[in-house]
Amino acid sequence: MDKKVKVVPCSGIGKVYGLMAREAVLKTVFELCPEKSETVCLAYIVTGDKEVKVKIEGFDCITVDGCPKMCASKNVSIAGGIVVEEMKVLDTVKEHKGKKFGSPTQLNADSEAVMSEIAEKIAKKINEIN
Amino acid sequence: MSELKVGVVSCSGEECLGGTISRLATRKVLEELKLVETVTLCLPLYLAGGKEERNFAKVFPTISVDGCDKLCAKRSTEKYSGKISGFIDVSKIIGNENALNKKIVRNKDLNKEHLQMIDEIATEIVRMIGSINPDSYSGKSFCGCSCGSDQ
Repeated sequence: MDKKVKVVPCSGIGKVYGLMAREAVLKTVFELCPEKSETVCLAYIVTGDKEVKVKIEGFDCITVDGCPKMCASKNVSIAGGIVVEEMKVLDTVKEHKGKKFGSPTQLNADSEAVMSEIAEKIAKKINEIN
Repeated sequence: MSELKVGVVSCSGEECLGGTISRLATRKVLEELKLVETVTLCLPLYLAGGKEERNFAKVFPTISVDGCDKLCAKRSTEKYSGKISGFIDVSKIIGNENALNKKIVRNKDLNKEHLQMIDEIATEIVRMIGSINPDSYSGKSFCGCSCGSDQ
């Protein structure tokens, strides 16, 4: 059975924090922990299809949300995923007051740096789990 | 006061290039199209209790943009908000081989060819918005509920 930790971002499209969540997760699963983690399309999870429930149900999941609505966390839970860590982009953003983070289309140097910081936090958690 | 609005819901799928293309094409339309006000709706909010997102799509014409033929954005929008005004399956335009590419997903990895794909999908979104009957959104407003009035 696939033991990889599922890492799911909200990928919110209206604010830069959604893009930061998305890019941090992709950096983690592609570069930092490719052997131990993978992502699953949140839009697919939202459909509730049997095929995607099999991918999520009963698995350890880390969710990364860009806003307090916590859509990724809620949807992964609804799909039966075990949310072992709810990461909030804003928690890390708060540590970098005064910076401008670009647009929901493209990260700039500041948001790229904070995104990498978030990715490191996700990777640390994955290594604790696996 | 009435507003002219069209909603665009992108799947933004994280597993393959089609999701990234759908997201960036949607953003491009949002930032560059000035004919009518275009708003993006956050798909995950549909299940997470986003009443405003669901109600918006009930009042205003909404188009879904999906990266692959699973059509997650289309199906979820129709499930919670009724029939949509149009849908785009990115994989039908850029081909399955591109859309289902699981190696190139991040913005930073996109090349000139991918940027052209984004332009192509954005053009298709604009064409689809242009084909919507103005009567379907004219005179309507949005106050968060699904009544379509400005009261």
